[in-house]
Amino acid sequence: MSSFAAPGQLLNPTLSPSIRPRRKSATATAAYTPIFSSTAIRCDLSSSSSSSSQNPEPLKSAPHKTLRSLSKSLALSTAAGLLLHFSPLPSLISHTVLGSGNGNGDLSGGGGGGGGGGGGDGSGGFWSRVFCPVAIAKDDESPSQEWDSHGLPANIVVQLNKLSGFKKYKVSDILFFDRRRWTTVGTEDSFFEMVSLRPGGIYTKAHLQKELETLATCGMFEKVDLEGKTNPDGTLALTISFTESTWQSADKFRCINVGLMPQSKPIEMDPDMTDKEKLEYFRSQEKDYRRRIDRARPCLLPLPVHREVLQMLRDQGKVSARLLQKIRDRVQKWYHDEGYACAQVVNFGNLNTKEVVCEVVEGDITQLVVQFQDKLGNVVEGNTQLPVVRREMPRQLRQGHVFNIEAGKQALRNINSLALFSNIEVNPRPDEKNEGGIIVEIKLKELEQKTAEVNTEWSIVPGRGGRPTLASIQPGGTVSFEHRNIKGLNRSILGSVTTSNFLNPQDDLAFKLEYVHPYLDGVYNPRNRTLRASCFNSRKLSPVFTGGPGVDEVPPIWVDRAGVKANITENFTRQSKFTYGLVMEEITTRDESSHISPNGQRVLPSGGISADGPPTTLSGTGIDRMAFVQANITRDNTKFVNGAIVGERNVFQVDQGLGLGSKFPFFNRHQLTLTRFLQLKQVEEGAGKPPPPVLVLHGHYGGCVGDLPSYDAFTLGGPYSVRGYNMGELGAARNIIELSTELRIPVRNTHVYLFAEHGNDLGSSKDVKGNPTEVYRRMGHGSSYGFGAKLGLVRAEYAVDHNSGTGALFFRFGERF
Amino acid sequence: MASQLIREWSGIQQFPLATQTKLLELLAKLKHENVTTLTILVMGKGGVGKSSTVNSIIGERAVAVSAFQSEGLRPVMVSRSRAGFTLNIIDTPGLVEGGYVNDQALEIIKRFLLNKTIDILLYVDRLDAYRVDNLDRQVVKAITDSFGKGIWHRALVVLTHAQLSPPDCLNYEDFFSKRSEALLKVVRLGARIRRQDFQGAAIPVVLVENSGRCNKNENDEKILPNGTAWIPNLIETITNVISNGSKAIVVDKKLIEGPNPNNRGKILIPFILAFQYFFVVKRIQRAIKDDIAKEDKPLWELRDRGLANREF
Repeated sequence: MSSFAAPGQLLNPTLSPSIRPRRKSATATAAYTPIFSSTAIRCDLSSSSSSSSQNPEPLKSAPHKTLRSLSKSLALSTAAGLLLHFSPLPSLISHTVLGSGNGNGDLSGGGGGGGGGGGGDGSGGFWSRVFCPVAIAKDDESPSQEWDSHGLPANIVVQLNKLSGFKKYKVSDILFFDRRRWTTVGTEDSFFEMVSLRPGGIYTKAHLQKELETLATCGMFEKVDLEGKTNPDGTLALTISFTESTWQSADKFRCINVGLMPQSKPIEMDPDMTDKEKLEYFRSQEKDYRRRIDRARPCLLPLPVHREVLQMLRDQGKVSARLLQKIRDRVQKWYHDEGYACAQVVNFGNLNTKEVVCEVVEGDITQLVVQFQDKLGNVVEGNTQLPVVRREMPRQLRQGHVFNIEAGKQALRNINSLALFSNIEVNPRPDEKNEGGIIVEIKLKELEQKTAEVNTEWSIVPGRGGRPTLASIQPGGTVSFEHRNIKGLNRSILGSVTTSNFLNPQDDLAFKLEYVHPYLDGVYNPRNRTLRASCFNSRKLSPVFTGGPGVDEVPPIWVDRAGVKANITENFTRQSKFTYGLVMEEITTRDESSHISPNGQRVLPSGGISADGPPTTLSGTGIDRMAFVQANITRDNTKFVNGAIVGERNVFQVDQGLGLGSKFPFFNRHQLTLTRFLQLKQVEEGAGKPPPPVLVLHGHYGGCVGDLPSYDAFTLGGPYSVRGYNMGELGAARNIIELSTELRIPVRNTHVYLFAEHGNDLGSSKDVKGNPTEVYRRMGHGSSYGFGAKLGLVRAEYAVDHNSGTGALFFRFGERF
Repeated sequence: MASQLIREWSGIQQFPLATQTKLLELLAKLKHENVTTLTILVMGKGGVGKSSTVNSIIGERAVAVSAFQSEGLRPVMVSRSRAGFTLNIIDTPGLVEGGYVNDQALEIIKRFLLNKTIDILLYVDRLDAYRVDNLDRQVVKAITDSFGKGIWHRALVVLTHAQLSPPDCLNYEDFFSKRSEALLKVVRLGARIRRQDFQGAAIPVVLVENSGRCNKNENDEKILPNGTAWIPNLIETITNVISNGSKAIVVDKKLIEGPNPNNRGKILIPFILAFQYFFVVKRIQRAIKDDIAKEDKPLWELRDRGLANREF
């Protein structure tokens, strides 16, 4: 699974761009049982493309009102319950807001006047803000309603004002007619989206008039008319004829970030102003705008897009409303593609000069709010301390940064990895007090602090002759408890007891009690160190006492370990970490019947069993006690390229004996593992793209200087050592080296692989006391090769064991590397 | 065993006079070189005639010989003294069992030999076996691993059943030289002695015939088909080997158990640890730091940090 997968996230940017990720995790399951829940990031944009706020004063609405009405429209559209999938360019509210070069008066006049066409005198500093809501509220439009016939002869053209105010007309068709080009434009034209009327809809005259009004006042058109043509079946075919607004051609483009800027309210213009006053007024407007441009922060829009827009301007000649719309679309597309979900083009200013100024509200974060909710969604005071959550958030989500949906996702993933919350929502919403600002709300539902759990399982143990018998079915299971998030600082205590047979728990009772203390250096310190203290026991079959090929049965030796451990883990990155700590343990070696056995057993050629095999412990008594320091540093920069793992992983581990314990064990046991995943072909990254072929190179060196009890000897052979052999089949040695290579070739959505491996004891088998390698007739080295395929979680592979030259098919879980 | 009574070497009187004279002469020569005790270790596969050889040398039925199976797994030391000279001969059980070297037998032999000095190793095999195989090599290897390479400087290859008629096409001398050559090669390989070293101090090959039907010469000495009396010849070769300047093998605990691998390099551990810290851990830490620096930051993060420069 990809590393960031928060189980069941739901990103839900609503109309006002807001993400509301929802994370559902199986709360009942304990932390150490892996949960595979499907990850789904669905971007639902609940909006209605056509419905937008109705602004009563569309022309003079100040920008802060824009946003306010924005949130209003959010509520509205949510009520309408329309869910659209997130599209790269969500036609949010912002249908272009245009400022025209001069003629503010004309525009504000609201009639069909438009922006005064080419007649501009070039005093470009003058601007006005036009909010052009496209739609009429749809609440009352219900398709199921009956409609009235127009009651007129067919095929005649009726003006809008000739229509009856009492009838509900059905619109069969809508045509746009460009008067300038003298052509009809199709529904694919960018203007079409500005009209909320749809063919087949039923509208009253008032509707149509309002529609016309909004079109006329949005600043895109100099002149717009609506007329109907009667159809024989009683429906109307509408024709919207328009003249597009145009301005002087421009050869410069500027994009400015006007978010959070104090908005200057345009002074009402008295229609009785004298020319001089008007001139004065325009001048002051112009000056204001200059100042505004100067004050505006540079925006994020990169130069390539900038140049692209410039090219558009050059190609077009005159700046037309359509062009501005295209520019807006292009600019917004870039922002939204890059994850700036709250960015909007709010205005074009400075028209009719040589420069087009595109005003963008990028979505600056004004506040970061973290709130906790109870199960019912009520806001409560959480148990978790805020800094714990805050330190997981990327800096880009804090105040003063531009909101980016990716940063939100990262916050979501990071917080999710704390495993403290059942539900996480990252939700940007417009700041009502701060125009253009975004408040990032993080809503968290905490998990139960204390959980306890019982898992049961039946296991069927092979009976005599390897066949399962009824008597060999054993009830087993785990009892565990967890107390997490102690003191709200994510400290936790967890304990578990596992047995494979509840009827006879003394046989193998595994317990673990662990205390985890994160933020060892303080929750405000960026250094991320975690203290873990645990007491544990474990029982494992020793691979040291395993026979080589042709040796029938070597009596097994069980190695029981029980002890306490304390270590500190410092995380450098998500995958790279450094762990160091102290381990004190008692090791007991037992034979099949759980008797302590100080020596391995061996089968004599005569068939008898003698108990004078290699010593199992250092002390020679079957029980060792020792204390050692353990350190492990992992460097892992692997990442997924279309599902294939690529990168490098190096692990170095040292166990340093302290000379404390039975026979004063003093040793240095070290292992170095180097794994490289080489990408053999550059591929394009993206969902659904094929992964690249990967060559895996792997080397593992293990060595020990000093006291080496047999249970700590390095064993060769097994699925994680040399495939094709059993665990320990090749030997147990003081120093080993394993080399392995694997070529992975993607096939459909999985991969097949070829591999070759070699393991060698470097002649150090004899340096293990009692030489278990030789006693059990093992080679001490061996190679294998084979091929396999990954089938989901299972690897099916055919491996040829080079020592005997025979092959076998294996099924394994998990990854070799 | 060590406390075993050292008896007078009465068996020597059983030998024909010529042999007696020769033996006493050789013993005197050894005494002259300040050698008063001679410990001979007899080893080899089972059923090659080790015990018989021991009996032949001693001149009495000192150890039990059984034609068909080995007499238990215990080594036996026979000690005889004559005129202030002590001869110890250690007879060992056969080293091979079930097609493998019997580790346990070897273990017992080693423990038996603890704190003894071996002056001479008699590696016994049969002359009338035509072939050498991997097992011979294993046996030689086992002996070498137990007592070290040095023992082969004090070793004799003894070929029993010397009185045989070789296969048709060969005459006796050719057969003997071929057989001894093959066996020496095995010894060389099994003991991992380099060819040059081996040629410098060749292991002598001695023929032995323990059978009562052994031909005798006019002096009533047991002789080989080539006419030499083999007992004096054997003792003479032993004497020569002793005086070739090599050291006797002192079997102590260290030799038996080998150097304790757990103690090897222990003193270096602090240095190893320091090396690991400075050259491995530190290096990996640096690599991690590099990784962090090189990490592909998402574009939005770079833009946020003002690193984009409006390039992207």
